[in-house]
Amino acid sequence: MPPKGKGAAKAKIPDSKPSEPQTVLQRAQQVYEATNPLEAAREQHGLNGLSTVERTAYINSEFVSTGTTDQLGKKAQKELWKQVNEASIPPRKLPKPKPEAWGKDKYGRNIAEYGLEQFHDRSDKILQLATLKLDSKEFRDTRYRASRKLKNGLTGESYVLTDEDIEAEKERRKEMAALMDDLYGEKMGSYSVDPAWDDVVPIPQTEPEGALAAIAYPEDYAESTSYLRAVMAAKEYSPRCLKLTEHIISMNPAHYTVWLYRFAIIQHLDIPLLDELTWLNEVSLDFQKNYQIWHHRQLLTDHYYPTIAGTPDQVKRFASSERDFMMEMLIEDAKNYHVWTYRQYAVRKLGMWDEDELRSISGMINQDVRNNSAWSHRFFIVFSNPAYATEGSHATEHDPAIPAEIVDREVEYAKEKIKLAPQNQSPWNYLKGVLVKGGRKLGSVREYTEQYVDDLGQDTEQVRSSHALDQLVDIYVEAGEKEKADLCLRRLGEKWDRIRLGYWEWKRTTL
Amino acid sequence: MELDTARHIRYFQRCYKSVLPHHYTANDSSRLALAYFILAAFDLLSSPSSYTSAPDSSATPPSLIPAADRPRLRAWVLSLQHRSGGFCGSPQHVLPREIRRGYDGELRVQTADDPENANIAATYFALMLLGILADESAEGAASTYRHVDRVATLKWLKRLQRPDGSFGELVQDDGTIGGGRDMRYCYMASTIRWILRGNHGDRILDFDVHKLVAYMRRSQTFDGGIAESEMGESHAGYGYCAVSALSILDLAEEDAEEPNKSLQAGIADIPALVHYLVCRQFAYTDEEEDEEEDEDGENEDGENEGEPPETLTTDTPIPEMATLSIDYVNIAGFSGRLNKIPDTCYTWWVAGALRILDAALPGATSVDRASGRAFLLEKTQHVIGGFGKHVDRPPDVYHSYLGLAALATMAGDEKEAGLGLFDVRLCIGKEAAARVARGRDFVLAGAPRTEEA
Repeated sequence: MPPKGKGAAKAKIPDSKPSEPQTVLQRAQQVYEATNPLEAAREQHGLNGLSTVERTAYINSEFVSTGTTDQLGKKAQKELWKQVNEASIPPRKLPKPKPEAWGKDKYGRNIAEYGLEQFHDRSDKILQLATLKLDSKEFRDTRYRASRKLKNGLTGESYVLTDEDIEAEKERRKEMAALMDDLYGEKMGSYSVDPAWDDVVPIPQTEPEGALAAIAYPEDYAESTSYLRAVMAAKEYSPRCLKLTEHIISMNPAHYTVWLYRFAIIQHLDIPLLDELTWLNEVSLDFQKNYQIWHHRQLLTDHYYPTIAGTPDQVKRFASSERDFMMEMLIEDAKNYHVWTYRQYAVRKLGMWDEDELRSISGMINQDVRNNSAWSHRFFIVFSNPAYATEGSHATEHDPAIPAEIVDREVEYAKEKIKLAPQNQSPWNYLKGVLVKGGRKLGSVREYTEQYVDDLGQDTEQVRSSHALDQLVDIYVEAGEKEKADLCLRRLGEKWDRIRLGYWEWKRTTL
Repeated sequence: MELDTARHIRYFQRCYKSVLPHHYTANDSSRLALAYFILAAFDLLSSPSSYTSAPDSSATPPSLIPAADRPRLRAWVLSLQHRSGGFCGSPQHVLPREIRRGYDGELRVQTADDPENANIAATYFALMLLGILADESAEGAASTYRHVDRVATLKWLKRLQRPDGSFGELVQDDGTIGGGRDMRYCYMASTIRWILRGNHGDRILDFDVHKLVAYMRRSQTFDGGIAESEMGESHAGYGYCAVSALSILDLAEEDAEEPNKSLQAGIADIPALVHYLVCRQFAYTDEEEDEEEDEDGENEDGENEGEPPETLTTDTPIPEMATLSIDYVNIAGFSGRLNKIPDTCYTWWVAGALRILDAALPGATSVDRASGRAFLLEKTQHVIGGFGKHVDRPPDVYHSYLGLAALATMAGDEKEAGLGLFDVRLCIGKEAAARVARGRDFVLAGAPRTEEA
């Protein structure tokens, strides 16, 4: 039996009509209050603060809402329903709404705080996304059935997938991606929205705890590399994979396995050399400092060379177009090490030991007499030419097979270039290198070198090149004129090349 | 000017704690290298020898690498180990276990069928990092390389060597060796071999040392420098790699009679190389830099120096000596090749190579420390800490670490205040190098006897 109340209490039931709700939470709160009319009063005053009628009604409502009325005796049940009826207690009470119950949006805002209109918009979008997902599933099912050449059990018609269907699916995926982003801030990458990639299960990069040097990747880098890992592991060599490698190379040209993979695809698909080179040339100009690009080029040349090796004209044409592209690269950076390394390779592979190559290098030295890369390449094409040079002759040793007129020509060339800028060490080194290769004495350029030094050690001393002084040391040592050599070294350390004082002093001790 | 260690510490702490900006995306395949530069810098800035301790101070501050982080950093490095030997450059190159399905008939073990994901540079950096992260205790030494598969790695390393003696950076399933002919790989191969193989044992696991030495010997050029391979252009960085590689081969020999045997055999003309290297230092003038500034790109990794245009023609008479600076030089940088502008990292490559060559040609190998130091501290040290590649360039982890390495190397036993003593061959602090060596001893003590000798 519900207890009878003693003493009269004031009515606590709010009788004012609630104002229009502004937010989702407010609306839910109002519904809650409407289904729990006594709850607010009880919270405020406690059970004993309610009037007898209210208290009875409140306790009765507990029985009603928990569905335990049948545990009461028959009489008590009858009494209860009578009271309930009189107090018009709502038969169902809703639980108190929790602000977090609606979840958060992509900005971390509680959806409970949404305005009602905004909330309805969101609900519409969720519905829209669900519909699109169903349609997309149907597309996939149809595609699967079409690929298996299945027939519709009811109509007996074959399943077909038209180009329009595919286009429609692409549009649908775009809409889905936009909705996913809008609703959940989830980016669907360009591969997951593309039906052509549906059959690939991407392998995402796992980033274990403790990972160092994490990089803020561009948006689609993570997605595209997860597809790359999947197709690489499956050893798929197809046109779509070729495109995928392009995409990844554009973001990370130093990815060391994507290039190997690309080369394998090219071999499998038998991609024409010219197509690949056209693409590669652009990439090379975009990423000047990348090494993998030039290694790839070398693999391509190795791969295609056997197909043209029998036709000297074709080899010559290819060599010439390769030289043209290298010159284009060298305009951007005349000392690009990768380009020069490839150039050496190309000279050897394609037999570019001709006048054209020498002329091209002379042109570069004319443009910039300080271009040491060009000087090095000249030394290579002159002294490694298989037409006369001894195979395997070391760069720092005499090669008796080099014709005297070539040694003469190169000595004169170096002398002429030194005159242009006597403090430029490149041609000085070249001159010495030529003399050693040619088995000539350093003394053969004594007079020439002495031109750059006047009255050494006297008040009227003039030095036009510290490298000339440096070279004179070796010339005088060779001639056994130690005192002269020592004077050169002293003057280098004291005045003309003081930064290397320690080195020059050491050299004096070796005389 | 003094080295502002507080700023450098802040710079590296930022790199350690935060995500690197997207410009580093092209380094995604070599995150182990980035990790190495950051942690090696921490180590060099906070080893016991980094502090000039007062007579009464007994305790040195703790390492900048937090002790609590070390286990998970080690675990990360080891997570990049490849099952068929070597290490992958970054998580980008690690495939999940379930999709690997190779089998090594010789070793009779399951291996990955993606051996190309293991990379020689990554392997070198991983072994250095494990040494840097080891703690000083006996247990620390024992566990340094405990989980490194030395047999698989040495077998893999052997497969990277080409018939001409050079090394590639990776090897594919079919045995194709990838990567250029590059002196850096020779250096890394020698170091990996030294750590994992031991001095005299494991002949079956060894690569062909004689061919490697011969390859390096052929790479010396007519001007005395060393190129990436035969008849290329001489380059100070490759000079360091060859010299250090040869020196590490000698270290493995422990031949008291001929301590520099490989060094002597691998460089045809040592005095010419020393001459080439000492010539890399030159006076720095602001005008020169201004002229070249605009031509330089924004690359972090390559050399992209422009050059002043040469306008002389062949009719130009011998000009009077005007370009030679006879004043005392206050600031002098180093170039990697002839007629290129100075770059922070070449102070390291040149000073490091010369320091090692001192064993072969004592007395000849000095650099001008005061002016070389001034170039780094006054010209490329950045206001936010770290070093840029060139003057007034933003810092990057590579140049920032090698800037510190250069200062420590030029200082030698005199020490640069705030930096530890430096091991020039391994390019890490002396204490870390000692930990590498101790870890190595344990590797060898526990190694199965596989030699045929």
